[in-house]
Amino acid sequence: MVNLNKVPPRHRKQYYLALGLEGSANKLGVGIIKHPLLPQHADSDLSHHCELQILANIRDTYVTPPGEGFLPRDTARHHRNWAVRLVKKALQEAGIKDPTDLDTICFTQGPGMGAPLHSVVVMARTLSLLWDVPLVGVNHCVGHIEMGREITKAENPVVLYVSGGNTQVIAYSENRYRIFGETLDIAIGNCLDRFARTLKIPNEPSPGYNIEQLALKCTNKDQLVELPYTVKGMDLSMSGILGYVDSLAKDLFNKNTKNKLLFDPQTGQQLVTVADLCYSLQENLFAMLVEITERAMAHVNSNQVLIVGGVGCNVRLQEMMASMCRDRSNGQVHATDERFCIDNGVMIAQAGLLQYRMGDAVQDIADTVVTQKFRTDEVYVAWRE
Amino acid sequence: MSGQILEAVSIYLTPNIPIEPISQGAEAVVFTTSVHPYEPKQESSETSNKYILKYRPPKKYRHPSIDKALTKHRTLSESRILAKLSQLPGLNVPKLIACDVYNGCIWIEFLGEELPNGNGFSSLKNFLWMSASDPHNKCVETVLEKVGRQIGLLHWNEYCHGDLTTSNVVLQQSDGVWEPYLIDFGLGSATTFVEDKGVDLYVLERAVDSTHSRYAVTYNEWLMRGYKAVYHEQSKKGENRLREVLKRFEEVRLRGRKRSMIG
Repeated sequence: MVNLNKVPPRHRKQYYLALGLEGSANKLGVGIIKHPLLPQHADSDLSHHCELQILANIRDTYVTPPGEGFLPRDTARHHRNWAVRLVKKALQEAGIKDPTDLDTICFTQGPGMGAPLHSVVVMARTLSLLWDVPLVGVNHCVGHIEMGREITKAENPVVLYVSGGNTQVIAYSENRYRIFGETLDIAIGNCLDRFARTLKIPNEPSPGYNIEQLALKCTNKDQLVELPYTVKGMDLSMSGILGYVDSLAKDLFNKNTKNKLLFDPQTGQQLVTVADLCYSLQENLFAMLVEITERAMAHVNSNQVLIVGGVGCNVRLQEMMASMCRDRSNGQVHATDERFCIDNGVMIAQAGLLQYRMGDAVQDIADTVVTQKFRTDEVYVAWRE
Repeated sequence: MSGQILEAVSIYLTPNIPIEPISQGAEAVVFTTSVHPYEPKQESSETSNKYILKYRPPKKYRHPSIDKALTKHRTLSESRILAKLSQLPGLNVPKLIACDVYNGCIWIEFLGEELPNGNGFSSLKNFLWMSASDPHNKCVETVLEKVGRQIGLLHWNEYCHGDLTTSNVVLQQSDGVWEPYLIDFGLGSATTFVEDKGVDLYVLERAVDSTHSRYAVTYNEWLMRGYKAVYHEQSKKGENRLREVLKRFEEVRLRGRKRSMIG
């Protein structure tokens, strides 16, 4: 049994209020949430049933021109420029007149890009000192997991965490979110983003979304372009696939008719379109993801999957996962939409508030140093049995 | 196991082949059957024959062309490795009877028996659990040493198992002595890399730690004794190679197979 009410709400309120600040990549997110103080939380295992109320969930994304990625320096500048405005707007939206009412301010402690993390933690420290509110440092990955659990009410799922910086298959065991499989080189979102850069398609709203839309336009779905399939046990590797599909795209743009995969050797007629490449890349990558998820499920004897992270919005990935689950007894797949899948402040607030309610707030401001490397299994998950 | 998979198997096998499911992994479903794929039915024989049928069902979630290529590739490599290993002297693996790589089906020899006193099937895992009350039994020690020897032989011949656990070792009695057999080479490969062998040993150590935690240290010691013995018998060359493997095993253990994550 876990006592989630170990630390009572401040100022004799009957609820907890938390502000979450997220900025580990190119999205700056501010979220404000409310947990009611309920007696059943004192003696149960209900960390996925907090009766969460979202008072504000706003986000500003730093978008770069087609063909370019976001650089740490520029992203950090974007976050610094917008932080104050977003926090003000969030407080207004949530109807909080007196910010000292907040129980805790949560920020992303890692993993992520160094410079953006730094600009956000400076904001968090300032607010904490200004309003005299305790700070909580949150692991970004745990934020995604807790958000997904609260929204979908999945009790003990195998988690597939797929985003621009991470690709992991995670399962809970003995107070840790343990990593069962992960990428050996680049993350899946990174792979898709970089392919989008090669194709010079817009980064608005997100490169992965645009690839998904292009893949839908593929007319030749029977004839898949063959790509490497690199599952290694429960891990996978994606840099080789990216290199190969990149070279195909370049041959296509340069009209290199010597490439027999893309052009008919006799007539020189083009056989493959950009949409076909997008479709093949997605099919290949997602098949690998679903396979390692299935392995993890078989290993820990679970029948629920929760997909979190930016790539988790992809409808095709959700479809494939659902199809895999149908073949396992009582298989269930849980996924959320872009409000909660893509990095946001609410998820940091949710994980941070759980941490706060277990009595794990920052005591000394020197402990708020952010870090680019912060593994999911380093966090002690006190709020679950 | 979902009914659809069972249906797919029985359509593929036709009703002439009765099957009994025993386990479902992520990739394959395993059945037992009494029918041999090409030998005539032995009506008169008293002992009922038993064979293992390992079937990789088509995965609907992936594109049919990816699925076909993967199923063929994996079934073929598993069959190949089984065929090669059964020719190595001293190594105990189940014999390959037949394979249909396009449909992802292989037929292999059935190994193992029921353990006495209702302790279940004679996998090494169940055997160790059965012996948990008397862990320092000489019998347990010899069995684990023999298992270690099997793994040593496998590595000495430049093969890797890829998924060494105590449930992937089956014991069979011959003349009252337990003989271990390595099974499930789905992740196996022929490899000359020291890295793969180090990982193999590490995976086994972790598996023993998690399933038999109480006596893990002694068990691992016995396993390694058998493993080393194989290399010691190969004179100077063996000693050198053993040193390399053990050094890498140590390294793999330190890094815990997982790299530190960035971003």
